[in-house]
Amino acid sequence: MKRILALILAVLMVFALCACGQAQAPAAEAPAAEAPAAEAPAAEEPAAPAAESVTLNVVTSYGGDDGNRANFEAAVKAYEEATGNKVNDGSATSNEEWKAKVLTDFETGSEPDVLFYFTNADAEPFISSGKVVSIEEIRAEYPDYATNMKDSMMAVASDGKQYAVPSSGYWENMFVNKKVLEDCGVAVPGPDYTWDQFLADCQTIKDAGYTPIACSLFEVPHYWFEFLVMNNGTVENHLDIPASVDDETGAKWVAALNDFKALYDAGFFPENTLTASDAETVEMFNQGEAAFLIDGSWKVGYFTGNAADLNDFAIAYVPGKGERSASEAIGGISMGYFITRKAWDDPAKRAAAVAFVSLLTSDEVLSTFVTTEVTALVNGAKPAGLNPLQQSAADTNANITAIAGAVQDLLTAEARGDLFSNIQNVVTGKMTPEDAVASALALN
Amino acid sequence: MNRKKRSISQTLTYIALGLWALTTIYPFIWVILNSFRKKGLILTDSFSLPLGDAFTWENYLTAWQRADFKNAYLNSFLISGTVTVVVVVLAGLAAYGLVRYRFPGRSLLYSLVMAGMMFPVFSTIIPVFRMEAMMGIAGTGNRWLSLLAVILPQIAGNLCFAIIILMGFIQSVPIELEESAYLDGCSVLQIYFHIIIPAAKSSFATVAIFAFLWSYNDLFTQSFFLRYPQERAITGLLNEISSQAGVNYGLMASSVVLVVIPVLLVYVLLQKHIVKGLTAGAIKG
Amino acid sequence: MNSMIYKKKTPLLLFLVPAFLFLAAFLFYPFVQNIINTFMKIGGLGRAAEGLNTPWYENYIRLFTDPYMRVAMKNTLVLILCTIVFQVGIALILALLVDGIRVGAQFFRTVYFFPIVISATALGLMFNLIFLYKGGMVNQLLLSLGQLETDVRPNGKVIVYWLDWKDQAHFLFTMLMPVMWQYVGFYFVIIVTGLNNISPDLFEAAALDGADGWNRTRYITLPLLRNVLCTCLVLAITGALKVFDLPWVMFGAGMPENQGWLTGTYMYDQTFNKMNVDYGSTIAVLIVVLGVVLSNISNRVFKPSEDL
Repeated sequence: MKRILALILAVLMVFALCACGQAQAPAAEAPAAEAPAAEAPAAEEPAAPAAESVTLNVVTSYGGDDGNRANFEAAVKAYEEATGNKVNDGSATSNEEWKAKVLTDFETGSEPDVLFYFTNADAEPFISSGKVVSIEEIRAEYPDYATNMKDSMMAVASDGKQYAVPSSGYWENMFVNKKVLEDCGVAVPGPDYTWDQFLADCQTIKDAGYTPIACSLFEVPHYWFEFLVMNNGTVENHLDIPASVDDETGAKWVAALNDFKALYDAGFFPENTLTASDAETVEMFNQGEAAFLIDGSWKVGYFTGNAADLNDFAIAYVPGKGERSASEAIGGISMGYFITRKAWDDPAKRAAAVAFVSLLTSDEVLSTFVTTEVTALVNGAKPAGLNPLQQSAADTNANITAIAGAVQDLLTAEARGDLFSNIQNVVTGKMTPEDAVASALALN
Repeated sequence: MNRKKRSISQTLTYIALGLWALTTIYPFIWVILNSFRKKGLILTDSFSLPLGDAFTWENYLTAWQRADFKNAYLNSFLISGTVTVVVVVLAGLAAYGLVRYRFPGRSLLYSLVMAGMMFPVFSTIIPVFRMEAMMGIAGTGNRWLSLLAVILPQIAGNLCFAIIILMGFIQSVPIELEESAYLDGCSVLQIYFHIIIPAAKSSFATVAIFAFLWSYNDLFTQSFFLRYPQERAITGLLNEISSQAGVNYGLMASSVVLVVIPVLLVYVLLQKHIVKGLTAGAIKG
Repeated sequence: MNSMIYKKKTPLLLFLVPAFLFLAAFLFYPFVQNIINTFMKIGGLGRAAEGLNTPWYENYIRLFTDPYMRVAMKNTLVLILCTIVFQVGIALILALLVDGIRVGAQFFRTVYFFPIVISATALGLMFNLIFLYKGGMVNQLLLSLGQLETDVRPNGKVIVYWLDWKDQAHFLFTMLMPVMWQYVGFYFVIIVTGLNNISPDLFEAAALDGADGWNRTRYITLPLLRNVLCTCLVLAITGALKVFDLPWVMFGAGMPENQGWLTGTYMYDQTFNKMNVDYGSTIAVLIVVLGVVLSNISNRVFKPSEDL
């Protein structure tokens, strides 16, 4: 419990840092002002008269193979049954294309009523054009709105206001295939795992005829990028963006890319890492052909559905180097529920949208979501009935001493795309790390 | 030519044709077989018959449960049916006009059609989306409007191809037929309906098939305009399932079969008409 | 050709106006918008232009200096050549062969078209399984034929050096073959339809004159097919320039190592993944210009007698 508290504190800190960085106005509205006013107007029972059924257009990233899809669907159904409203669910899998489509919708006035979306730089276009309603404004009419959340953990936009109600958080860490490790005589990494140990282990694993690291450098180099950057810096300065390739942070990124190249040159990635898809390398790991995989909390669901025996897998630690300890990881809350101005200004939909977000972010519903270690709930989440891998994740997360958000989320889509597509050029020596960083920064 | 030589060349012909047919049929059989194979066996053994332990209906049950196929079929047929009819009607008229009339700006129009065929759909989709959103067609969450939002750009996208193809065939209709009809007192429209359409019947069927297929298989436009579940058309559904399936290749195979069967039916049915068109509509003289 | 029937121009309006109205609204206007976008600075799909580029023709300069664009052009030209030689070539041969048989022609006509019926998404999934690195259909076959190197580690684990069909040495084949294969049936149907429009009387007359099969083909069929073949050529060129879905499903963004771009996939990637909307629009313009130029050239070369 104490550890979880530490974790929450760390998240809090990260968000405070974020807020400072974005708008010199750290958490302007203190929760104290709203809290006592909670019972003031009693008339706003969500859609109580239920005069006629409202259809809400909802867009979230809980589509496709998201680990929380089933939980989301159950919550939507509960909402429909409780209110008699209908939910038009336009959820999809989150990727750059999806993000772009959502922004296009706002641009053309065809945005949904409720949106579950990234709360960082990605949301700025529709926040700055006033297309979503701030929590402050909603609370003026619905004082209870999102009061089960710590206000300090809600993302603050560049105008100093908060717009999104956080949902479940995420973490990124090292998945290991215990069977492969056992076969190679390598111990499951602990929270004090070091880079040198890791390199030695990789060599052992490679010599035994396995692939040490399952990773498609073509498709998902970003997981390794995050940790390699942190390995060359600290958890505190992880979210710094270089101003130029020559400054301290720029040097950190260059060093990270050099580490990337070293891993590649040592032959620790799959033979076809430059042409394999993420699905292929993950499946390779699942089939017991590879030992390590860095991925996120959403991947737990994949193994739950596809692994022959969940006990063969564990969530361990990414080896630490320099000032970073292996017990420091990537994580946080990057997404939240927005109510759009369009829905708010529609008298029929206003109450329905508020009720929807309130239900989806209630303590009960969020406790069903798989990733509950990182949470903005005042009372915390209480997950029950964890499977072995989820348990392993919970155990590991209890040992995590600090987390930072993913620095890639602070980059523009162009810069991010450029950087990650150049990693293959860096590892093959076609481009220097300096050029790759400079090229990405030019687009940021 | 002696009989023996003839039969040898016939045999060679059949072998060559048969080999190519094998390459086009086998993948289907492979997909169908694997759609009945138990999860996990596809990567180790994808060539044998899925019998005994390897056989399962599960892939189909899962596919049917996970997705609303019936609704998606209905949407797809509404979209692609409308697109096909409108394209055939409009393109037939335009092709006839462009082939038979000489008028200033004719080659300009022809060049425009040629160029239009090359417009990649990605370059026109965003302006189209904005325009339709402004007109209140796209992005409303209303099922029928969303279907219309797909139909309109798909018609435009298929028109150029259809016009080019039909021009090619109408050109090869001997003009003497039309001249004699004209001497018999037919108007231009009558000539179009009584001479041109019957003569180029098979080409119209060809164009219709392509328009239907492209519209049916066009994932990109569908995924841009159809966001909500009740509007989803069949190709979008396949994409959705395959993105959820991960490495569940059996589920993917069964979904592919479910998606392909209706078009195959439509194709085989229309194919009969093509042949009728080919034989009955053949131009004598 | 210009018969007296068509001297009166009024019915022309009825013929042309509906189709061209549609084209104007949903194809030409958006494309003009696209051309305007090439000079603008656009930060994202949904965003409005932030003003002109500096210099305004910046994207066009980039088009000629971008090394990936050069790769895309090179691959696309290879694709166009292969399309003409193999797709149209095989389709023509198959069509002529089918034309010469009595039994089963209908069957072949039906099955050759099958690959086009399946969506590219489904085909892409299928070919990915066929060319899969570990345990794909081709690699399974090669292994069983003893064509792959294997190695045994001290602990008894056998390592197979699978052939990577998507690496630099093999990707061109892996990428082009499915595209070729899929569309042979397409040109086949067009050519067969063209063959059926040729009057059988001509063949009877030729047969009476004693012409054998090859001469009939050479002197009657091919010349009469000229219009149709020319159409095929134009379709092949324009199709190749914007080929997108099958390579995209199989190769994604420029695999392997940015050597696998095609103009279609590069444009899509720039527009929808890299958010370079203005540059993506510029590539679209290039695709159209190239298409018009190349198909004009092919029209000039192969259709000298006919106008247009």
